[in-house]
Amino acid sequence: MISMMQTDFLKIKRKGFWFLTFLGPIGVVALQMVNYGVRKEYLLQQSENDWLYYLQNISVFTPLALVLGIAIFTSFIASIENETNAWKQLISLPVSKMMVYLSKFTILACLLFISSILLMLFTLGFGIFLSFDEAIPWWELVKYSFYPYFAALPVLALQLWIATVSKNQGVPITTGIFGVIFAYSAYMLPDWMIWKWPSLMNQWDEPLINVLLGLGVGCLLYVMGMLDFTRRDVK
Amino acid sequence: MGAVLRSEWYKLRKSKILPIIFAGPLIAIIIGALFNYDSMEGGFNKWYLAVLSMNLTYALLFLPLITGVLASSICRYEHQAGGWKQLLALPVTRGNVFISKYVLLLLLVFLIQLLYLGAIYIVGIINGFTDPFPLEIIWKSIIGGWLATFPLVALQLWMSIVFKSFAAPFAVNVIFTLPTILAVNSERFGPFYPWAQPFSMMYIGGSADDVFFVPWEQVLTVVGGSFIIFFLGGYIYFQRKMI
Repeated sequence: MISMMQTDFLKIKRKGFWFLTFLGPIGVVALQMVNYGVRKEYLLQQSENDWLYYLQNISVFTPLALVLGIAIFTSFIASIENETNAWKQLISLPVSKMMVYLSKFTILACLLFISSILLMLFTLGFGIFLSFDEAIPWWELVKYSFYPYFAALPVLALQLWIATVSKNQGVPITTGIFGVIFAYSAYMLPDWMIWKWPSLMNQWDEPLINVLLGLGVGCLLYVMGMLDFTRRDVK
Repeated sequence: MGAVLRSEWYKLRKSKILPIIFAGPLIAIIIGALFNYDSMEGGFNKWYLAVLSMNLTYALLFLPLITGVLASSICRYEHQAGGWKQLLALPVTRGNVFISKYVLLLLLVFLIQLLYLGAIYIVGIINGFTDPFPLEIIWKSIIGGWLATFPLVALQLWMSIVFKSFAAPFAVNVIFTLPTILAVNSERFGPFYPWAQPFSMMYIGGSADDVFFVPWEQVLTVVGGSFIIFFLGGYIYFQRKMI
């Protein structure tokens, strides 16, 4: 498993994966930099607690960046094998297909987790720069940085499934576009849709439910994807 | 030129692009059907409400993003197994190949816009609107939105020729499209951001004095200017690309 992941890390080298891992959180915070740069006075008047309001502003874009990032990453990692018809060679090695799939999933989960850590650091950094009056709400900061990640795991499992079994990568990308549109209109979606979860909204107003649902359904979709992948013929 | 365009059409017909084309109108219908029209009282024409709510996702995110998928799909045959070499070994000029791909993409986007018009109509029927259908205004929006995608399609075609995978041009597309959500809220930056133009030109609440919903100067400078930059960039890149 370790060597499997090492080869996968080697494969994603100089392909832009790390660049995107950094760009995602930077982009999300940079949008707020522009937002606060242009109309800071107005935004500070909007709420009693400026720190929380700032975190909420950040979290408007986090789900969108996550869902799109997942679509890009999964399609990317599948096309690395697709482009050179390497699936067959990879599978002919003495590794199980489950391991191949697990390794790809783990790699992407790692990259996205690093993104979440970076998101927390950048959010904190710019928040301190803005020098709000309130104390830093550490727990809220951690929540807004990592909860969306766990809630987005089902999307990752689903997109990886679609990307690995599609010959035409237009299919997973289009699914990703659907995903981001759902994530963008999360407020009007029913609670059972997985694309709503990263927004941390639900009818009970308890974000932890989304995290737990994300972990549970993420595992389920992962297993379904993996089983389907192992049963398919590699051409 | 005609022959190149025809061969592009043949390739396209076999590339299973139909589901992608129908995705947009489908999502528009879902959004339009979910919207609660009774919550808006005050004698608005209900068609306006429907179009405003559907545009919010369709023109803001879907239209700019799908241009990238179409552009990548149209270059997919060539990227697989040395297709560029075979295509360019034929007695065609690179310029003609580029232009016919571009023209075909514009036609596809226009088709999506027409289907979107149909989707608006279907949403109206589902919800049983009795107000008169504001055909002229909606046409303006459909054609305007189409014009606004010209530069985006050019950039995406360029990126799709550069990169083999679907994901890389899509990433470029996403990086420029996401800030639109903020840009359209800003009166200072919105008018100058090319990716915000599909939304601005489809926004039926804008002033209706001009031919489109945005002033002519903006159409010419922002849409026209970015179109020239992206189209020439792609054209020149393709001329010099090592195959």
